[in-house]
Amino acid sequence: MTIAEFQEKLLQQAVDADFKEVEVYFERKTSFECKLYEGQIDSYETSEDGGLSLRGLYNGKMGYSYTEKLDDESIPFLIDSAKANADILDEDEGIDIFEGSSEYAGHQFYSEELANIEIADKVELLRAIEKNILTYDPRIVTLDYCILKEFSTERSLVNSKNLSLSQKENGLVIFISTVVKDGDELKTAGYLKMTRDFYALDVEEIAKEAAEEALANLGEKSIPSGKYPIILRYDATAALLATFMPVFSAENAQKDQSLLKGKVGQKVASDAFTLLNDPFHPNALTGSNFDGEGVATKQQAIILNGTLQTLLHNRKTAKIEGCATSGHAHKNSYKGTLTIAPQNLYVPPGQKTQADLIAAISEGLLITGLSGLHSGTNTISGDFSVAATGFHIKDGKIVSPVKQMTIAGNFFDLMKDIEETSSELYFLPQGYGSSSLLVKELSVTVE
Amino acid sequence: MIKQSVIENVLQAALTSGGDFSELFIEDKYVNSLTLRGGKIEQSISGRDFGIGIRIFSGLQSIYTYTNDISEEGLLIAARRAALAIKGGAAGTIHPLHPEHITPIHKILLTPNTVEHARKADVMRQANEIARSYDERISQVGIRYLDEQQHILIANSEGKFVEDTRIYSRLSIQATASEGNEVQTGFYGPGAHAGFEFMENLDLHHYAGEASRIAITMLHADECPSGKFPVIIDNEFGGVIFHEACGHGLEATAVAKNNSVFANRIGEKVAPDIVTYIDDGTLPNEWGSLNMDDEGEKTRKNILIENGILKGYLIDKFNARRMNTEPTGSSRRQSYRFSPTSRMTNTYIAPGTSTPEDIIASTEYGIYAKYMGGGQVNPATGDYNFAVMEAYTVKDGKIDRPVRGATLIGNGAKTLQLVDRVGNNLAHGAGMCGSVSGSLPVNVGQPMIRVREITVGGTKGE
Repeated sequence: MTIAEFQEKLLQQAVDADFKEVEVYFERKTSFECKLYEGQIDSYETSEDGGLSLRGLYNGKMGYSYTEKLDDESIPFLIDSAKANADILDEDEGIDIFEGSSEYAGHQFYSEELANIEIADKVELLRAIEKNILTYDPRIVTLDYCILKEFSTERSLVNSKNLSLSQKENGLVIFISTVVKDGDELKTAGYLKMTRDFYALDVEEIAKEAAEEALANLGEKSIPSGKYPIILRYDATAALLATFMPVFSAENAQKDQSLLKGKVGQKVASDAFTLLNDPFHPNALTGSNFDGEGVATKQQAIILNGTLQTLLHNRKTAKIEGCATSGHAHKNSYKGTLTIAPQNLYVPPGQKTQADLIAAISEGLLITGLSGLHSGTNTISGDFSVAATGFHIKDGKIVSPVKQMTIAGNFFDLMKDIEETSSELYFLPQGYGSSSLLVKELSVTVE
Repeated sequence: MIKQSVIENVLQAALTSGGDFSELFIEDKYVNSLTLRGGKIEQSISGRDFGIGIRIFSGLQSIYTYTNDISEEGLLIAARRAALAIKGGAAGTIHPLHPEHITPIHKILLTPNTVEHARKADVMRQANEIARSYDERISQVGIRYLDEQQHILIANSEGKFVEDTRIYSRLSIQATASEGNEVQTGFYGPGAHAGFEFMENLDLHHYAGEASRIAITMLHADECPSGKFPVIIDNEFGGVIFHEACGHGLEATAVAKNNSVFANRIGEKVAPDIVTYIDDGTLPNEWGSLNMDDEGEKTRKNILIENGILKGYLIDKFNARRMNTEPTGSSRRQSYRFSPTSRMTNTYIAPGTSTPEDIIASTEYGIYAKYMGGGQVNPATGDYNFAVMEAYTVKDGKIDRPVRGATLIGNGAKTLQLVDRVGNNLAHGAGMCGSVSGSLPVNVGQPMIRVREITVGGTKGE
């Protein structure tokens, strides 16, 4: 049975089983991952997998189910499970299956060229990168990991209202963690490069960046704990933004789980802070022409010069508020229910370079990495207290890396304390991006 | 699930280009997940995960492929394609498969898939009611119910052929307290390798009440002072600190390539005499327990540190090759999408002799971490960080005031050396552990512990 046949059969049988409206979502992924260790292939992984989910309106409520086994016996499983799940809900979502937007953007997220590159060429590239890093400097001991991963995903959404959408995307990501040692001091640093343009990858440049990132961490010094002006580097900011994304969800606001509730149109950040959503940003590896419900996606400002323009809505939250959906329904995969998430949320670049921002600081810190974001942050209160790596800045210059430290503050206060953004722009593979931010001050505790 | 003859053919196909070991992992898993928020069941989803992982070793090279194409032809193609990653050699041969029977040590009384959603929802509503009515300042309660039934079959070229069913149940309670502009949350998430009987016997008053109590307590907590202090970490989930600070560093994943501060140190003194650290996958029905690991090895009790002396590591089949030793029943993976590697099961510090009262009474000034949040570690350097969900200052031998925003940072190997009290009240807590082979249920446990000095990050100056 082909997927199209399975989808067709499932739609028909669900309608016959008293579902008023149904949607079938299908996803298929292929991936290749290679990990090197001292010139040898340490692990090598390929995959081809996928699954399918059913979402249907049954007695006025939306039932969900999914399966990764696509055979005839799965159809009754999907239908019976979705019914049982609809039955138990207390909430009539008040929302139906979407009939479709009038127009969709036609952006491409798939590179045929990338898909056609031989595995051997990718492994060779990674081998060359590893070799270049290991010979870059005698203080480089080993690579904690050296990984190349390529993926492609095909998605399709069809429903009983004759909507039929599909999309293909692919990308390549390189992850490296370099271990450096000088005397007793042992340090590591992670490095990530993502692209859809394989031939633009420059072995020497990647090796240099990965090596320098780690070497810079040697020679750590302690500084007194206290409050300092902070430059949050682009990558650290993008990670922080990804963590605090739930505060922009209209669903969380409606459930009293976001302090941005009722703040649309109000000033929630400094004039220097703008936050954009761009499903088609060329620097990002993610993106889509339609959201998890099939609504056409669009470029829009979430915060413009400090003023909150909109929260992230799906059709249900928009209906509750009496506004139009912003196209942010999100299906993480066929395995989940519908949630809310942005498509490429980022802080756009400013005028001055990161170096200019550093030059203007008499004493402060450049923060280059955050860890413990999953546990040291609270998206409801906005509080964060996380481990950080970074450098001491004095008289406009970087003086030394700082010993293990934590930075602490509150995300809502931080948005108000942003004084400037740099001209660099960096995206994480998950679609969160940023420039570097100059923040008035944060609490820093140094070991 | 799949005919034995097909399995043999696939194992054989995986060795066509000279691999010396092949393995098949077949997984069929049912999941039910329900969410309650605002007093209402707002989400409910059921699903079936199904897929197959094929692993091949060639010396110190590991090849992995996975698919959910279950046709014999599809599997043979996947196996042969994976084998191509090995640069040609004579085809290896497989041993005849010997079906092995596992005697389950973790008894399941009530399979969750046979229990109606309504009974699951009842448990959630009760927990919601308890958390809600704890205090009028509780403004929101979120409850998540999860059950999983994972059936696995493992077969390998050495003749292993074994099946097992694992059943998990977990209830997570998050309470939000609000007053004026202040909002704080509290969380508790008990779980077990058990059926629905776990939910029916769960002390909801304790767990839901605690989630709300934490949120209310933190509502008017001071900012946490920062600096270096003695830190008392309470029992149960407090053990997460040693899970990160030394557990991960004892996994062969890090040790085999010398990317751990504990590598090549068996027999050395790595902790004070009062510290004994154990990983035990056999504890009946505990959240991190298993009848067998994800390579089909029976789980066991592995003593990692005994009275301060490093005794052993957690080792999987592949890293055992690099280390020239035997696996320890510690190989785990989240699903067929992950190649397995050495991971923890239920890890804990064995009880000592101090009473919790004495530990607090003998602390002049410090921080008492009652409930830990999560944390993480860099296994190569041993540097860790942790969030404390509920913390207090300790003054003159007494628990003083609640403080918020406490983060602990340090180095695992160094922190281990600074343990100066081990209590007599061992308890285990359930958590999820994320690492290279995915997110896994693990227990962390300990009695109350005191560490002479940890760097505490907070928002208030020293």
